[in-house]
Amino acid sequence: MATENISVIKLRDLLLVTVPPDPDDDTISALQEQVLQAMTRQEVRGLVLDISTVQTLDSFFARVVSETVQMVALMGGRTVLAGMRANVAVTATQLGLTVGNAITALDVDRAFDLLNAAPAGEPQP
Amino acid sequence: MNKSHQGELLITSENDIVVARKIVRDAATSLGFSLTDVTRIVTAASELTRNIYHYARSGVVRWRFLNQDSTVGLELVFEDSGPGISDVEQAMQPGYTTGKGLGMGLPGSKRLMDEMKIESVVGKGTTVTVRKWRG
Repeated sequence: MATENISVIKLRDLLLVTVPPDPDDDTISALQEQVLQAMTRQEVRGLVLDISTVQTLDSFFARVVSETVQMVALMGGRTVLAGMRANVAVTATQLGLTVGNAITALDVDRAFDLLNAAPAGEPQP
Repeated sequence: MNKSHQGELLITSENDIVVARKIVRDAATSLGFSLTDVTRIVTAASELTRNIYHYARSGVVRWRFLNQDSTVGLELVFEDSGPGISDVEQAMQPGYTTGKGLGMGLPGSKRLMDEMKIESVVGKGTTVTVRKWRG
């Protein structure tokens, strides 16, 4: 039921994944699976993870996000984490969370710019 | 103005973590906390409720409004009858975990809140009490 809320849209050679505002742990785990499946099925070179509506980024969520970024990188893709709200960023930092090697962007627009500007095949820093 | 100033929620399933977040968000918002403080409180509640579910499978989350020297605050109590914590000091070290987590829950929640108290007896259970005062 909860997993219906995850939207994975292919736009040209990129995926736009939208995370619901208050996902439960199952939804977050399902999100990782859906992303990896979409990476395999579709010929994409990266994805934008839109978290602009996410209200709570706790350690479980952060772990799954950083794992997903790493998995996508191993598959040859790049991930941009887009739209983290200021209050969420403050809280995540105080909690001691990091999002691994994810590139971040202020919003989805800038995230697409970042991915489109990057030369294909360049490894994620 | 007949809003209740306390309440509790039984934690028996993973989905109750989401329910706890919602209840705590509503309580913190109605007390007039800033959006950033609401996010801090809800995030700490998420960590501590997940601890109940992961380590004890079930437990209870209680919340109540505080009013002390004309300062209002929110108190959250996370109680379970799980395995308990053998070394609370060690459990407060960032990165230390006996589970599958990041080891951020307890030390991180302490940073997000103003006060934290942990009472734990091995084999009996754990009670974590946190408070946040409205600045």
